[in-house]
Amino acid sequence: MNLFFLIGIGGAVGFLSGLFGVGGGFLLTPLLIFSGVPSPVAVASVTGQVAAASTSGALSYYRRGGIDLHLALYLILASTIGAMAGVATFSLLRAIGQLDLFISVSYLVLLGFVGTLMMIEAVRTLIRRRSGVVVRDKLPSQHSWMHGLPMRIRFKRSRLYISVIPVLVIGVFIGWVGALLGIGGGFILVPALVYLLRVPANVVVGTSLLQVVAMMCVTTILQALTSQSVDILLAFCLMIGGTVGAQFGAAAGKYLRGDQLRALLALLVLGVAVRFGVTLVLAPANPFSMAVLTAAGAQ
Amino acid sequence: MKRLVAGLAALGMMATPAVAEKLASTVSSATVQITSSFDGAVLSLFGSIESSNPDTVAAGPYNVVVVVTGPLQDRVTRLKTNTWGIWTNTDQVTFKQFPSFYTVLASGKLDSIAAPGVIEAEKLMPIEQAEAASTDPNPFRAFEFGTELVRLMTAQGHFAVQENAVRFLTDTAYVAQVNLPSDVANGPFLAHTYVFKDKQVVAEHSDGFTVRKTGFENFVFVASRQQPLLYGLVCVVLALGTGWLAGVVFRR
Repeated sequence: MNLFFLIGIGGAVGFLSGLFGVGGGFLLTPLLIFSGVPSPVAVASVTGQVAAASTSGALSYYRRGGIDLHLALYLILASTIGAMAGVATFSLLRAIGQLDLFISVSYLVLLGFVGTLMMIEAVRTLIRRRSGVVVRDKLPSQHSWMHGLPMRIRFKRSRLYISVIPVLVIGVFIGWVGALLGIGGGFILVPALVYLLRVPANVVVGTSLLQVVAMMCVTTILQALTSQSVDILLAFCLMIGGTVGAQFGAAAGKYLRGDQLRALLALLVLGVAVRFGVTLVLAPANPFSMAVLTAAGAQ
Repeated sequence: MKRLVAGLAALGMMATPAVAEKLASTVSSATVQITSSFDGAVLSLFGSIESSNPDTVAAGPYNVVVVVTGPLQDRVTRLKTNTWGIWTNTDQVTFKQFPSFYTVLASGKLDSIAAPGVIEAEKLMPIEQAEAASTDPNPFRAFEFGTELVRLMTAQGHFAVQENAVRFLTDTAYVAQVNLPSDVANGPFLAHTYVFKDKQVVAEHSDGFTVRKTGFENFVFVASRQQPLLYGLVCVVLALGTGWLAGVVFRR
């Protein structure tokens, strides 16, 4: 693999992640897989890059007080358990030779679903704006059935008094998916926090970023311990490209409106989903493939 | 059994002219070092065919076949089939202790160098290596998946049969060249040389060489295998440090 190619795609994905305010794992992992990096290595190495990309964001939110540490702690604990399960599932799928299939199908379903929702929302906002209706950001105020669950805990910073169960369930799920697919999961976590838990907008992004940083650090270590497929040089190239690109992306993001950004991001997400769908449906160039199980005397 | 027959045949050939050959051979370098700029290497294998009896002179014409085998690995070949419109891996055959590198170098067409049966008896061809390594009890499946495995390995430059890669300098001295690809496996390699006369093996010799990573590449690889926790922690520190630094540098 070419060093400049890696820094280049790290930079390009970093630009997009800065532009849209997402971690970029869901773009970077597929890009690496499509450019020939074995999927175990791609997934395990991108976790390091996502941690790096989210760190500067999390730090700046922390300085502004935009993080609910209490809520983040619960999410991190739950996602650590999820990540352990995810890494175990990862090793199992790899051993039986179905990892590639699982990654493709998961990306297709997850990105297809999230992308469609985002697209509908963005198009609806764009149409309303065009027809001159004043659009106000929805204020999540009403209680859902989740607020009736037991074991309620008060999260002061978020001004929430909710059951801990949905918090933990979301954490475990994000941890599991993140470890399996090499994504931070911010694009699932933010909507989940906003729509399911009603976390206020001023702390949702910061809390999500902190959770992503912590979870990706845990996942990187777990992957290094179990699958040993973290490529530190690959990860470092991506980190450098990604963090620099993100700064330019964030600067460019100021020239676009929020709903335009969301429509573009939805297109991007759907594009990746379609790309995975195509690889599943199209006949492969060679139906046979090979893999190394163990390297005897590899040194 | 086959091997024994071939050996007996070779003995018979040697007995009649009362000339016994012996082979002296060597490799151009005993260790191939993989540095960060490694993009493959060409090794030369030299040899000289001599008579073991000082009163006679080794007389050809000789032919030489060199088989270079890399470190052994367990490999799996998988077959994708279409189920409900989706291509998935549905079948696989595991090959235990299969060479990660295998090249047959010869001084001419193999079927004109060796008598029928000799190549098979020595298991010289890549497909015979695959059949021997297969764990599948069904020989047809072993052959089918083995053929595909050999094809995939050949496409990646790890397997080859080159029938013009051994060049005779004199009637009894030769040089063979083997190409190691940039992603060659690390570990011990074996070069086994067969000398053919009148389509039978008259002498054999083995030479070893080692391919190994050196410097930073080796350090990183060894660390990831022997100190995985430390390796992961370093990766995390690197990530947090890079992220923090980017935040500091770009903050105005």
